[in-house]
Amino acid sequence: MKATVHQAPPATDQADRIKHLPAEARAAFQRFQADRDPAALDPVIFAILADFIPRSPATPLAELPGETRLIDDLGFDSLAITEVVFFTEDLFGISITNEEIIQVRSLADLQRFIHAKVGARPAR
Amino acid sequence: MPFLPVITGLGFITSIGHDRATVGRNLRELRHGFEPVEFLGNPNLPVKVAGTVKGFSFPSPNWRDWRWPDNFSVDRELIRGLAPHGVYAVCALQQALAEAGLDAAQLGDGTTGLFCASAGSPFMLGSFLEQMKETRGERGNPMGIVSSIAGTLNFNLAAHYKISGAVCGFVSACASSSHALGYAMDEIRLGRQSRMLVIGAEDMTAESIVSFSSLRALSNNPDPATASRPFDRRRDGFVGTGGAVALVVEEAGLARRRGARIQAELIGWGQAGDGHSVAASHPEGAGLREAMRRTLADAQANAAQVGYVNAHATSTPAGDRSEALALKAIFTDQGARPRVSSTKALTGHGLSLAGAMEAAFCTLAIDEAFIPGAAHLAEPDPVCAGLDLPRTSLDAAPGLVLNNSSGFGGSNVCHLLRGPA
Repeated sequence: MKATVHQAPPATDQADRIKHLPAEARAAFQRFQADRDPAALDPVIFAILADFIPRSPATPLAELPGETRLIDDLGFDSLAITEVVFFTEDLFGISITNEEIIQVRSLADLQRFIHAKVGARPAR
Repeated sequence: MPFLPVITGLGFITSIGHDRATVGRNLRELRHGFEPVEFLGNPNLPVKVAGTVKGFSFPSPNWRDWRWPDNFSVDRELIRGLAPHGVYAVCALQQALAEAGLDAAQLGDGTTGLFCASAGSPFMLGSFLEQMKETRGERGNPMGIVSSIAGTLNFNLAAHYKISGAVCGFVSACASSSHALGYAMDEIRLGRQSRMLVIGAEDMTAESIVSFSSLRALSNNPDPATASRPFDRRRDGFVGTGGAVALVVEEAGLARRRGARIQAELIGWGQAGDGHSVAASHPEGAGLREAMRRTLADAQANAAQVGYVNAHATSTPAGDRSEALALKAIFTDQGARPRVSSTKALTGHGLSLAGAMEAAFCTLAIDEAFIPGAAHLAEPDPVCAGLDLPRTSLDAAPGLVLNNSSGFGGSNVCHLLRGPA
């Protein structure tokens, strides 16, 4: 598969892009940018999902089991998933194809997928 | 007996109020909804007044930045597909359903339809297209289309409220929501639907309003107290506004069976084209005259029975003149003398919203037995000689009420309303 990687946008743009996310997620993103700590990715991923989820769940996403399905259990639709994909692509400077995203069904799938995509990038 | 459409619920998000009581009071007391505004951060623009929608804020196209009064709720699932006027529409519809005693869960059985009117959202469309150009088509808000094009109201509200009856949007510029209401009446009269939700709405943004400056259609008068003065000799253009109005229209038998309070009956409507100009009205109001004639004929009523006309008059020199001539042909020349006023003197011109908003004002006038006066009228244009333009509101049941609307291309639509039998 062709691995197109977008030019990562400047850090100031990135801070602006996530200014509406909770402080904890913004701090985690900064940690990830500073030392590429993979553990810092998950709070960012959950915050992005919480931002685009059509109906807020009763339980915080981070506390749900990894096999929780995005569409069937959490009420995501294709439009909300497209929004998550675009936002994630722009934030991390990665590219996600339709074929790839169709394989992502659960929270754990998404975490694994983003970790692999982002981790595949050469460290700066 | 043929099916009779009646109005059982109204909802208002307007420059003169966001609830029935406030709107009714402002109509009676002739309190306008205008404020000084600076569009596009440009103090040099000659357009300095608008009918602002208080308590709502849309500082960017991102819904996360939007604010509305605390007494309304807009679901997260819904808002991502809305334009600013979609938010107004949701808030107006919530009021109308509550007033009609309807629960959202009662709307999905196929007997309820939804007709909407707006011009779409130039504000949202501009942002969507700008992003498309910046990214050369590689990025776009997945909701960019459904939140911006004409039809955005019916797309969003039909899905959200699970409407499985007739769903349609109407586009005839400033006659749009009058068309929506007229055709909603037909759905009921033909027995196709037993209930119709009718919504007119527009954004209150520079993109929607300042655009009309290019046509030289807007008032350059900076005084909120006189900028909108329909039928006045010194009128110099319209004052823009946005907002949303929702009407619940039901078949009279259904309304009675379920104990809904009938506020007004919709007894006739009609439309006619000017066949004249893309933007200007016919100099003698030929289309509007014919639309009024057809409306009276549809209701089997005569001009002398009409007690109040809510005129379309937007405060433009040419448009008000055409309407005055049309009104004189239908009424004065037949010896009839209804009270005439344009409530756009108070609200501003709501474009696609105007027809539904003013049909709702007519309903209030009937239901609460008053006639809104011709606000801001100091020196009537001599062309209005023979028309009764009351300077103050009157505490009187208006009898039959005629609601006029005209849009680009010479689309003219009228409705005739009366109190419940």
